Amino acid sequence: MSVPLGYYLMLGGVLFCIGLCGALTRKNAIAVLMSIEIMFNAAILNFVVFWYYLHNGALTGQMFALFAIAVAAAESAVGLALVISVYRHYRSVDVDEMKALKG
Amino acid sequence: MSGAYAQIFRALSSEISLAVVAMGVLTLDLVVGRKRDLGARRQLVGAVTLIGLALAAVPLVWQVGLTNVPLMGETLAVNPLTVIFKFVLIVLTALTVLISVDHDIGTHVGEYFAMLLFGAIGMLLLVGSEELLTIFVALELTSISLFVLTAFHKNSLRSQEAALKYFLFGAISSAFLLFGLSYIYGLTGATHLRDIGTALAGKGTNPLLAVGLLCVLVGLGFKVAMVPFHLWAPDAYEGAPTPVTAFIATGSKVASFFVLVKVLMIGFAGAAGSAYWGAFSSGWAMVLGITAAASMLLGNCAAIVQTNVKRLLAYSSIAHAGYILIGLVAATSTGATAVLFYVIVYALTNLGAFGVVAALSARAGGGDLEHFNGMAKRAPFLSLLMLVFILSLAGVPPLGGFFGKFYLFAAAVERDAQNFGLLWLVVLGILMSAVSLYYYLILLKHFYVMPAKDETRIATPGHVNMALAICAVGVIILGVFPEPIVALLKTLVIGL
Repeated sequence: MSVPLGYYLMLGGVLFCIGLCGALTRKNAIAVLMSIEIMFNAAILNFVVFWYYLHNGALTGQMFALFAIAVAAAESAVGLALVISVYRHYRSVDVDEMKALKG
Repeated sequence: MSGAYAQIFRALSSEISLAVVAMGVLTLDLVVGRKRDLGARRQLVGAVTLIGLALAAVPLVWQVGLTNVPLMGETLAVNPLTVIFKFVLIVLTALTVLISVDHDIGTHVGEYFAMLLFGAIGMLLLVGSEELLTIFVALELTSISLFVLTAFHKNSLRSQEAALKYFLFGAISSAFLLFGLSYIYGLTGATHLRDIGTALAGKGTNPLLAVGLLCVLVGLGFKVAMVPFHLWAPDAYEGAPTPVTAFIATGSKVASFFVLVKVLMIGFAGAAGSAYWGAFSSGWAMVLGITAAASMLLGNCAAIVQTNVKRLLAYSSIAHAGYILIGLVAATSTGATAVLFYVIVYALTNLGAFGVVAALSARAGGGDLEHFNGMAKRAPFLSLLMLVFILSLAGVPPLGGFFGKFYLFAAAVERDAQNFGLLWLVVLGILMSAVSLYYYLILLKHFYVMPAKDETRIATPGHVNMALAICAVGVIILGVFPEPIVALLKTLVIGL
């Protein structure tokens, strides 16, 4: 219990911002996916920390974290599949090159 | 313990039967479907899906009498309001299935209908759940199914690109949602909306709560396609197979607005703030007031310059998200009632409009405005239905869209009536409705006035005509007799 709650929350916040910056600036679709995973992990970290420090009477926080991990896995599975099917058409995974839809 | 399982089964029987049907549809297509040609396969699997949806609607009848039964520690709610909305969602899914049977969706027929059903399960759960974790999982179930459905034209580059863009925006927004939920959980220690409401009552605004609420609004704002989280909508709507576009624009919107109303009105009733002109105070009503104004402005202005019909309707639906948000900004039970009524009208209207586009664009050679020239002569019945849908979207009485907008604007004016605090939003809404009339009439001009190059008649299958006619009849009924439905919704919303 030596590390205060605030430090963990700061870490969570920083991780989320790093993920968001990556998701918005990266051109490679796979790198964007990785950044989104970082954002998810920041939120999961928050859940676990809040559970441990503040609400450890019930398992809600842990449950939330476990479900979020499963959902994130499902989401990245679908995401990678979509990246592959886009690659089959463009021969590239650069999101800036996808310009068939505009307006 | 067995009593608890019986209760869960009673509350979730629609969802469970839909899941069973989805598995059955997959197996059926694998075992029987592969031997047939694509058209017959779609008809067979579509018919079974329809029967499954009809069966899933039956358990709702048992639930009609139940009032506010909390299940699994208030995780799931069963009350007349959820019954109505689950029924609406099942009808919307069934109509989507009817439109899809006629549409070329590639060789993965069983998977298509199964994904449609999985999406529908997510939407039904979304309507029923009153707990953050359940809401999150249901929202993801809906989103992931819709991502996959968007990519169903495997040979079309546009469909793949649309799906990837939809996915990337969607995944970022669900990360925002989860992050926001983590703060809300941390601050209140609760995940049930009612407990959150009690925990937050009487406390002032806390910076962490503000961040959490804002992140949740980003996550849900993406689902309802409000500005500035709308960027995915035009691309996804244009690139997706048109029946899927119809499903995204209607079913997912209905469920998302329902959950938005529930989260804000039950969980965050105390953090509303206000969007009164000159007296803004921080809270979700203020944020939504600004996004509503931005959605109406951007949606309507961008729709004017579009040449692709699906893209035009996409921008129009962004604008409609703006109108609907006005009802939420009012933050009263009248406002919530108006939102729920408008969402039903909007869903029927847009499903019809996209359905007409789906049926005609495949036979007219494309989905641009000029492909629809002279449709009134080529496909008189569908053109007539399109006239009904477009006039309802434009808000022409006596169609459903007019009364929907009327109730939304009335709810906003009623709130803070002495100072006309929300009048600015109403004035903007009415002005923007006038702007929208311009592009809606241009669309109708292509259907009714412009001459067609090729005047051959377009024949559409009977089940598509029937599905679209049901939408049109619904829009007209909601326009002619809005009063009893609104009164019913209002009593249910107050009892929530």
